[in-house]
Amino acid sequence: MLVAEKVTFGYSKGTTLLDGWDARFEAGSVTAITGPSGRGKSTLLYLLGLMLTPQGGAVLLDGNDVSGLDDAARARLRAARFGFVFQDAALDPTRTVLENVTESALYRGKPRHEVYPRAQELLTRFGVAVRATARPGEISGGQAQRIALCRALLHSPDVVLADEPTGNLDPASADVVLDAFRGHANGGAAVVVVTHDPRVVARCDVEVKL
Amino acid sequence: MSLARQLKLLVIEALASSRAQPVASLVATLIVAGMCAAVFLTTGRTVGAEQAVLSRIDDEGTRAIVVRADAGAGLDASVVTRIQNIEGIEWAGAFGFPRDVTNSAIGPGGEKVALRPLWTSAPAELGIPATFATFGANTAWASTDALATLGMRQGAGGVQAQDGLGYGVLGALRIPSFLADMTPTLLAPEATFSGRVATLIVVARDPSLVGPVGKAVGGLLDAEDSSKVTITTSEALAQLREAIRGQLGSYGRQLVILIFGVSAALVAAVQYGLVSMRRKDFGRRRALGATRSLIVGLVLFQVAIVSAIGSAAGALVATVALLLSKDPLPPWEFFVGVDLLAVAVATLAALWPAVFASRRDPARELRVP
Repeated sequence: MLVAEKVTFGYSKGTTLLDGWDARFEAGSVTAITGPSGRGKSTLLYLLGLMLTPQGGAVLLDGNDVSGLDDAARARLRAARFGFVFQDAALDPTRTVLENVTESALYRGKPRHEVYPRAQELLTRFGVAVRATARPGEISGGQAQRIALCRALLHSPDVVLADEPTGNLDPASADVVLDAFRGHANGGAAVVVVTHDPRVVARCDVEVKL
Repeated sequence: MSLARQLKLLVIEALASSRAQPVASLVATLIVAGMCAAVFLTTGRTVGAEQAVLSRIDDEGTRAIVVRADAGAGLDASVVTRIQNIEGIEWAGAFGFPRDVTNSAIGPGGEKVALRPLWTSAPAELGIPATFATFGANTAWASTDALATLGMRQGAGGVQAQDGLGYGVLGALRIPSFLADMTPTLLAPEATFSGRVATLIVVARDPSLVGPVGKAVGGLLDAEDSSKVTITTSEALAQLREAIRGQLGSYGRQLVILIFGVSAALVAAVQYGLVSMRRKDFGRRRALGATRSLIVGLVLFQVAIVSAIGSAAGALVATVALLLSKDPLPPWEFFVGVDLLAVAVATLAALWPAVFASRRDPARELRVP
């Protein structure tokens, strides 16, 4: 489903972080990307998520080269088919929990209120025990990451990309996140997780080492 | 998705974002309110004063061209038909030589009033119906002071000249300022443009047209003896009026440009600061699928919304201040124009910060060291 084909990338001239890198991320599986710090795990995730453009090679989605699309087309594709979980949740501190979960609906051209029921359902499913009107400053890190998870799964994306999603979580919260990834992959999505944590790797179907 | 739906979503999101960031919104609102209030209290006050001065000198008298013909000048009433096609004339009428009349009910011993024949194609301007001819020949209309002088309390009656010629008097005239020298006024409109003219009055549509219209009229008089004709215009006053308007207008424009320029720089600086503080926010939006144009639109709509509130608040504050200081208020068009301009200036000033926000690289902004 999601393929990195001879992907080459470097942040500055003369330095190459990824050099002709290949990988496949199949629908229905959870893949862990592991490796030492500084080897380009997060960079790879951003390349797969169409936030960076490879300097060589291509990212294919369902067999189509999507890394060569223009910026607006890649943004629309991210909104429609990708879900992201970032290391520090990256919630909007000025908006409520419910507004954070429903943010990406706006980028798909839907009013937030149309997806409030789905957001409420996800918040309940993942045990987010806070008021929907609370703001990120009032909640714990574990709850924030669960909210970020709800945001990523709101539109049942085909691909979920997660960057160290359990790095700052207690074991119980980490289990909630990993269970959610497993459940979503079982529904036919490809889930890619960058991690250092062996417990997370143990729960993935495939490990890709960098 | 239709453009209208997209715009609606963007406005709703911009409103929600403005509410969610009350301090940032308040700062932007205050800047625009201050900008508008400053314009209203400086240039607005000047515009109000200018309006007051100009309205005093911008009456019909300022725009009047008066042609006086002596008895031997031979100026014929047909001049009215010759000049009526001159561009820039608001009204024209010729007045014949006056003859004294008295109230026929009192007789020759009554108070005398000068009765003048009138030739004009626009009698309604003086309150004379356009169908005056249907009332028959020898019908006259009088000003209220003429009616009082003649002792016609009912506003109608008859007058008689010394040679025995009688006129019926119907209704009251409306006396514009250019007829002030002819009061008390008693006019007998003539249906055919023929007869000797003592005074021809032409009112230009605009003070700036007094000079050219006066020259054009002078060329079409066709008097038998032009040495017995004098033309008087208020061209000097019209030029003074234009000078006042030009000076005050130029001063006001410079001040508005200065205030708007300083405020635009402030709005741009504050917005740039706010966008820089929220780089991660825009990085997250981009990662989740916001296009660059959506982010530019979001920032601009947000600024436009708070600017609209700020400009309305500025107008309100300035109005109250001008009323309290008993200064003349500028016209409402000035308020609307300045408010719209303020919103446009603030929104344009936010364009650069908006583009900066839209170009945040999510990979850089969301990376955790």
